[in-house]
Amino acid sequence: MNYGVVIFPSISHCLRGESLVQAAGLTCKLIPVPRELSSDCGTALRFNWVERDRIAAVLEEAGLETEGIHHLG
Amino acid sequence: MSKVVNAQGLSCPQPVLLTKKAMAETGDVLTIVDGTDQAENVARMARKAGWTVQMDGKEDGIYVRVTRPQEAAEPLPMGTAVPAGGPLVLTIPEDIMGRGDRELGAVLIRAFFHTLTESTTLPDVIIFFNTGVRLVVKGSPIVEDLQALVEQGVEILACGTCLGHFALKDQVAVGQVSNMYTISETLLEAGKVITL
Repeated sequence: MNYGVVIFPSISHCLRGESLVQAAGLTCKLIPVPRELSSDCGTALRFNWVERDRIAAVLEEAGLETEGIHHLG
Repeated sequence: MSKVVNAQGLSCPQPVLLTKKAMAETGDVLTIVDGTDQAENVARMARKAGWTVQMDGKEDGIYVRVTRPQEAAEPLPMGTAVPAGGPLVLTIPEDIMGRGDRELGAVLIRAFFHTLTESTTLPDVIIFFNTGVRLVVKGSPIVEDLQALVEQGVEILACGTCLGHFALKDQVAVGQVSNMYTISETLLEAGKVITL
């Protein structure tokens, strides 16, 4: 599967992001931030890369701050 | 010489206990129980002891026949410590990871189980008890991760008493409904126990 992740500034941002994404009918999974992206013990949302633009739009529309969207190689 | 144990009408640990007692007396035991949970628990205990198990669902109950193979080792005397190197056991006593903030703990436990599915070192057994059993039922955010772990050979045990207490027994989505005898045995025979 071709995945991407959204990184958030805090866990509450991440949880809010998860409910926004799910409410939009998209799927995501809450995971720890992959080691190669950050050594911080944060959480991120993993999603199917094909839905990248839709997910970015959902988060932006809600004005939810993120720390970037990354493709998982 | 065979022995019949009629454990019908008896609930969780009793059929296992009675079968175990009979297994100390003879090498061929037929235990009759009402439900699949009890049958599975009896079967698991017997298999663990290295016995052969045959299950037969009949109209009046489930017949579990356990037989000792010819070359089966003598049971260890009571109190014999199992040497280190036994199974790696993970216990999950709550539906959150760590104590303190519930919202944070709920996130951490999801992240933990996701990581576990990608780990090269896996526990042999994961035991869920108290509010931990909420993680193995329908609607739990980690059901898919747990299913992936089961596919990789991890045994998942959920405390039946706890599921009963939360009225979740018919909601189990992954793992085996277990009892305190299996749980305590698993802990005592473990090489290492990690509690979240």
